[in-house]
Amino acid sequence: MSVAYKTVTWNRNKILYDGVLAVAVILYLFVFQRLAPRFQPVTLPYDDNTLAMDAYGSCAFLMLSIILCIGPLARLDQRFLPALYNRRHFGVLTCAVALFHAISVIFWYFAFSPVPPANALLFANTSYGQVLGFPFEGFGILALLTLMVLAATSHDFWLHFLSPPIWKAIHMAVYFAYACIVSHIALGPLQTLTNPAFGIIAFSAVTSVAVLHGLALTKERRCERQTADAINEPHWVRAGSLDSLAESCGLVVNFASGERAAIFRHGGKLSAISNVCAHQNGPLGEGRVVGGLITCPWHGFQYNPADGCAPAPFTEKVATYCLKLQGRQILVDPRPNPAGTYVEPLIISEA
Amino acid sequence: MKAASAIILMLELYASIGLLVAALFLTVGIGRIDPSAAHAYAFRFLILPGAILLWPLVLSRWLKLARQQPNQNR
Repeated sequence: MSVAYKTVTWNRNKILYDGVLAVAVILYLFVFQRLAPRFQPVTLPYDDNTLAMDAYGSCAFLMLSIILCIGPLARLDQRFLPALYNRRHFGVLTCAVALFHAISVIFWYFAFSPVPPANALLFANTSYGQVLGFPFEGFGILALLTLMVLAATSHDFWLHFLSPPIWKAIHMAVYFAYACIVSHIALGPLQTLTNPAFGIIAFSAVTSVAVLHGLALTKERRCERQTADAINEPHWVRAGSLDSLAESCGLVVNFASGERAAIFRHGGKLSAISNVCAHQNGPLGEGRVVGGLITCPWHGFQYNPADGCAPAPFTEKVATYCLKLQGRQILVDPRPNPAGTYVEPLIISEA
Repeated sequence: MKAASAIILMLELYASIGLLVAALFLTVGIGRIDPSAAHAYAFRFLILPGAILLWPLVLSRWLKLARQQPNQNR
């Protein structure tokens, strides 16, 4: 990226996304605070602070569950791609809600502690040898710290500064944070549950995350097994039929080497570039050609089909591949050209 | 309670060093190792918490990229 960094590059879609998120969170907190007291036993009524604490905590848990479901849902059905577009703002908001939960806990349980609240939080319960009454707060602290690191490194600067592999590795810690939150809930609120509703909701959320990841992984494995057919001509493999490739759409080809190319049909021509977006490894082959440029379905990064270069002033570039036609069959050379190499688009002769 | 105090003290020390490293990085280092950050100032407030939290990583990447910079200019 060569343009100057901005705090947030706002556009209509991001404003809409964030607006819907903010309304949904406010609505959840409002509805929770109205409904939850009705399910409490009369002998153990909710006080305002505990109610706010539970509202923030359950909201953060459900938000993180939804965030983790968006990835596999988008892999399984392209209609969920818009939810993926601004997921990092979703994550930052989740961290903020979790922080409100932590603050409300500290200021309710440790407000009058003779020692500093942070010390009291760490030392109030040290019964690590038992399940019932386990100091579940530790898992909450670990989850919150992890979410804070993820939120604090969500700006694109970090992706470029740390390099995509390191950034991606750090952000995979979202699963660690989720495991910590699940442990925090299982060893904490679920132990003293007075109404099974939250237990059922929590179980459904965790199951949904697990099942959707399993389904997406199965689909991915199935795609990986469908490698391009080798043919008699050296260095060329059969990618598929021209008839199966719609205008402005992509066709993903798996090579025996494990690499993938994305072939696009655009304006009566064919071009092939790497399937991996230089931004966040998004699947370019699942994107479309918009305004003559291949557009990543994840965050809208664009590349010229002929040379795999992002339009100026951006500097990202990906590898290109050579193509040829054999009747209606598209053949592709699996050896990638260096990133940014111009390859004359293959003209489709309809005769 | 001593263990809790020690943990908090270590965290405070870590955050203090982080604040120092972040302040140096965001005022002196960032513009030299990333051309896109050279004349962009507002976004630096946004990356301050990350620089404090991950200061050892920031320091190591900063040194690595700063060493690469003279070679790229040759």
